[in-house]
Amino acid sequence: MSERLQQAIATLETIILGKPGQLRLAVACLLARGHLLIEDVPGVGKTTLAHALAQVFGLAWQRVQFTSDLLPADVIGVSVFDRNTQQFHFRKGPLFTQLLLADEVNRASPKAQSALLEAMEERQVSTDVTTYRLPDPFFVVATQNPHEQAGTYALPESQLDRFLMRIRLGYPDASHERDLLREGERRDLLPQLAPVLDAERVLAMQAAVRGIHVSDALLDYLQMLIAHTRAHADIRIGLSPRAGQGLLRAAQAWAAIAGRHAVLPDDVQAVFSAVAGHRLERRDALDAADGLRLADRVVEAVPVPA
Amino acid sequence: MTPTPLPARLRPLAWTLAAFGSAVLLHVDRLPPWITAFAIGAIVARLTLALRGARMPNAWVRVGVALTLTVGVLASFRTLNGLAAGSALLAAMGSLKLLETRARRDDYVMFGVALFLLLAACLDRQALTRVPLYALQLWVSCAALAVIATPDALSGVKAPLRLAGRALLYALPLALILFLFFPRLPGAFWALPNASGAVTGLSDEMSPGQIDELTDSDAPAFRVEFEGATPPPQQRYWRGPVLQSFDGTTWRRDRGRYFLEPRVQFEGPAYRYRVTLEPHGRNGWFALESVVASPSRKVQLTLDRRLISAEPVNEAVSYTAMSHPRTVTHEPLSRLGWRYSLELPPGQNPRTLALASRLRAATPDPSAYARAVLGYFAREGFEYTLTPPRLSGNAVDEFLFSTRRGFCGHYASAYATLMRAGGVPARVVTGYLGGEWNPIGRYYIVKQSDAHAWVEIWLDGRGWVRVDPTAVVAPERLQRGLYDLLPGAASLATRLTRENAWLAEFAQGWDALNTAWRKRVLEFGEGSQLALLERLGFDSPQWRELGLALGLGMIAWLAWMTWQSRFWLRAARPDALARAWRALNAKYARVGLARGAAEAPLAYAARIGRARPDLAIEAEALAREYADLRYGRERRAIAVRHFAGSVRRLRLSAAPRIP
Repeated sequence: MSERLQQAIATLETIILGKPGQLRLAVACLLARGHLLIEDVPGVGKTTLAHALAQVFGLAWQRVQFTSDLLPADVIGVSVFDRNTQQFHFRKGPLFTQLLLADEVNRASPKAQSALLEAMEERQVSTDVTTYRLPDPFFVVATQNPHEQAGTYALPESQLDRFLMRIRLGYPDASHERDLLREGERRDLLPQLAPVLDAERVLAMQAAVRGIHVSDALLDYLQMLIAHTRAHADIRIGLSPRAGQGLLRAAQAWAAIAGRHAVLPDDVQAVFSAVAGHRLERRDALDAADGLRLADRVVEAVPVPA
Repeated sequence: MTPTPLPARLRPLAWTLAAFGSAVLLHVDRLPPWITAFAIGAIVARLTLALRGARMPNAWVRVGVALTLTVGVLASFRTLNGLAAGSALLAAMGSLKLLETRARRDDYVMFGVALFLLLAACLDRQALTRVPLYALQLWVSCAALAVIATPDALSGVKAPLRLAGRALLYALPLALILFLFFPRLPGAFWALPNASGAVTGLSDEMSPGQIDELTDSDAPAFRVEFEGATPPPQQRYWRGPVLQSFDGTTWRRDRGRYFLEPRVQFEGPAYRYRVTLEPHGRNGWFALESVVASPSRKVQLTLDRRLISAEPVNEAVSYTAMSHPRTVTHEPLSRLGWRYSLELPPGQNPRTLALASRLRAATPDPSAYARAVLGYFAREGFEYTLTPPRLSGNAVDEFLFSTRRGFCGHYASAYATLMRAGGVPARVVTGYLGGEWNPIGRYYIVKQSDAHAWVEIWLDGRGWVRVDPTAVVAPERLQRGLYDLLPGAASLATRLTRENAWLAEFAQGWDALNTAWRKRVLEFGEGSQLALLERLGFDSPQWRELGLALGLGMIAWLAWMTWQSRFWLRAARPDALARAWRALNAKYARVGLARGAAEAPLAYAARIGRARPDLAIEAEALAREYADLRYGRERRAIAVRHFAGSVRRLRLSAAPRIP
C-alpha cells in the first residue's frame, strides 16, 4: 500500500507545485474518510487539486458549482415520473459520485448547503420512499472564498464541524510560480495522468488507516490537547468529541502516509491545525483566520509527555 | 466586589465554620454564655449571608461590635490577660472575623483561630476524657484546611477527612518524637496562671456537731505507689491538718499558736512511696505518718510534722516520700506546748469535764487514763454512723451523754476534750485513713470518702502518740473503707459501682488509665526524658544527649516519610523509558538544543538535525527508537534497556565538527 501511496503523492506533486504539506493533508483527509474544506481565493488551484486527487486515486468525480439559486434537488437528485413505466423514478444527482467537488459552497442558500452536508455526514440520501446509499468511497472537497462577503452564507459552526479538515493553499512561492508561468495550465495535464490507485485500493487503505496503532501514551497527549482547548480562556467552544475522533483518525492517516505503524505526537501535531482550525473560535474576535493561530498556540502550550 | 459563584465559595466556608464552631465548643463550659451565643449567632449569620449572597456588615459596624466585645470580655473577667479571658476574647473576635471572611486568606485566618482555641483548650484542661475531643477538633480543622487550600480537588465530606486523617497519622510519629525528646524547662513553663479549681478535701477546721452528713464523695484525693513493703491497713494514716485549738464546738488550726516540738526518733520499718496528689486548692501535701523529710524544696515540713507547700495545689503533683509509722521522743514537751494542748473553752461542756475528772481520779497514769477513756467509748453503747443527729450548745456533752451517735470527727473531738480535761495534752489530727488497692494500676487510691480524724496525746517519754477512738467504736473502719462499714450510707452511684463486679473493675481500670495518662504523659518532664535516655543506653544523659536523640528521631522520621512518599509519588514517577528520554533531552540541552515542552520527538530530532547536521542521523535514530517504544504496539523491557544504554553511551561534542 505504502509504495503506491507514495507514488500517488509523488504524482500529485507534479500537478500541484510547491504544496507538499497541503497535498498530504488532503490525502490524509481522504484516507481518514473525512471531507475537506479548502478555503482560499480563486485561482490558486483548488479545483485542480480536487480534479487531480480524483484522477490519481482513480475515483469517479463530479463538480457542482454552488450558486444562490441552487436547489437541494440539483445536488441530490430528483424523483421524475416515467411515462413508460407509469412510476416515479429517482434520478440521482451529481452527489452520487466518489469524489464531489462542491465549488464555492458558501454561495448556496443554507437549504442547499444543509442538504449536501447531511448527505456528507450520513453517506446516504433518503427520498420519500427509498434510501439511496452513496458510493464508497465518498469524498467531498468543498471550496469557499473567505474574502467574498456579499451574497454568501457563511457555513455555521455545526456545518463546519462536518468537514474533517480545512486547509488553505495560498500562493505558490516565486520559483514554483515561475514554473507555472512557463509551463502553462497544469489542468491540461490531468487527462493524460494514469490513475495510480483505484476505488478498491482506496477503501483498503482507509481500512488500514483504522488499524494504525494508537497507544495509551498518545491518547493521553491527545486528550491533553482537547482538554486544553476546552479550558482555554480565549476559546469560545473547545473541541467536540467528534472533533477528537476526527483528530485521531487524521493523525492515523498521517502516520500511514509517513509509513509508520503507530501514531506519534508528531502526527497529531501535523494535522492539528487543519482539523481544529475551523472549529476553534476566539471569544472576542470575529476573524475566522484566528482559529489557525489558536490551534497553533494550543499545540505550543501542551507539553508532550516524556 | 464581584459576586463569586455560591457553591464554590460555600464549601470552604462551611468547613471553616465547622472548624471554628467545634473549637468554640471545646470552651463552651468556660466561656461566658453571651460569647457562646454571639459565636453561634455569627456562624448562623455568616451562613445566611452566604446562602442569600447578601453583603457583609460594613466596617464601622464591625469596629463598633469589636469594641463592644472587648468591653464585654473586660467586664466579665476584669482583665484581658490570662487563659480564660484570652480564650474568651479570641472566641469573640473570631466570631466577628467570620463576618468579614470573603476570600481564601480569611478562611486561613479562621483556621488559625480554630487551632489557637484548640491550643488554649489543651493548656486549660488535659484530662484523658478530653483527648478524643481535641483529636476530633484537630481532625475537623485539618480537613477544613484541606478544603480551603484545594476546594475543587476534594469533593464530599469523606475525602477531606480521609486526607486530613492520613496527614495527621503521618505527623503522629513526629509529634511523639518531639514529645519525648524536645527539651523542656523544668516545671510547667507553659502553665498560665490558672483560676484555682473547686476546693475539695480537708479544711483547717472541724466542727462535727455542725455537720449533718459527711460528703459521700468518691472523688480521689491522691494515689500512692509503695516501693517495696506496704504498711498494714491500720497503719495507713495519711496526715492532714493538725487542729490545736478548740472553742467548744469547732477544732481549728490556729495560725500563730506555734510551739517548738521536741525532736523525734523514728522507729520501726521505713516505707518509701510515691504520692500523686489531686489538685485540691489548698497548700497541704499528704504523707504517711510520720514523714521523715520534705520531698521538695517548695514544701516545708512543719513543726507538727505536716507537709505544707508554698503554693496551693492547683495541678496534680507527684512526689516521693519516706515515712516511719512510729516515732518516739524522750525530750519533754515545751511549756507553750503544754499550755496550748490543754486549753479548753471555759464554762463549756461541764458534764464532760466532770466525767474527765472522775475517770482521771481513778487512773492517775496518763496512758492508763487514755485507755480508760477508750474503754468508756467501748462500753457505753456508742454507735458509728455517717448521719448523726445535729448537736447544739455544749456539743461534746450532748454527744457523750445523749446522742452517742457519730463519726470519726465526733469521737476525735470528744476524746481530745476528755484528754485535755483530764490533764493530758491532746490535739485532733485530720487526714485520710486507708486506701483502696487498684490491682490494674498497682497502686492505692485514697478517696475523699477516706477522710478521717484521730487524736494525738502527749505521753512523757514517748512523745505524741496516736489514738484513734473511732477504732474502738468501729474497729472495722481501720481494716476496710467506709463503704464496707456502712454500705447504706453510700450514694446510689457508689453502691452500684461497688456491688457490680464488672462495673467495679471498669471503674478501677478507668482510674488506672487516668493515672497512667497523668504519670506517663502529663507529667513527662525533664527528669522523665533523661530517665528515658538512660534506658535507651546513654550514660548519664544531659541536654546534649537529648538534642542528639531529638535530631536522630527527626532524621528517622524524615527518612520514613521519604520512604512513604515513594508510594504517593509512584503515579508521577517517570518510568525507565521516560527517564532515558529525559536524559537524552538533557544531553542535547547541554549543547544548546533543549527540547521544547510541546515538541514532539521526531520534530525535535529534525530540529537537531537542522541545527547540527553532524548529529542528525544519530538524533533521528534515537528519536525513532524512543517513539517506537513509547507509542508503538509493544514495548519490551530489553528494548527499553537498549535505548537507555544508547542514551548513556551518547557523547556529544559541544560545537559542530568542521570537516
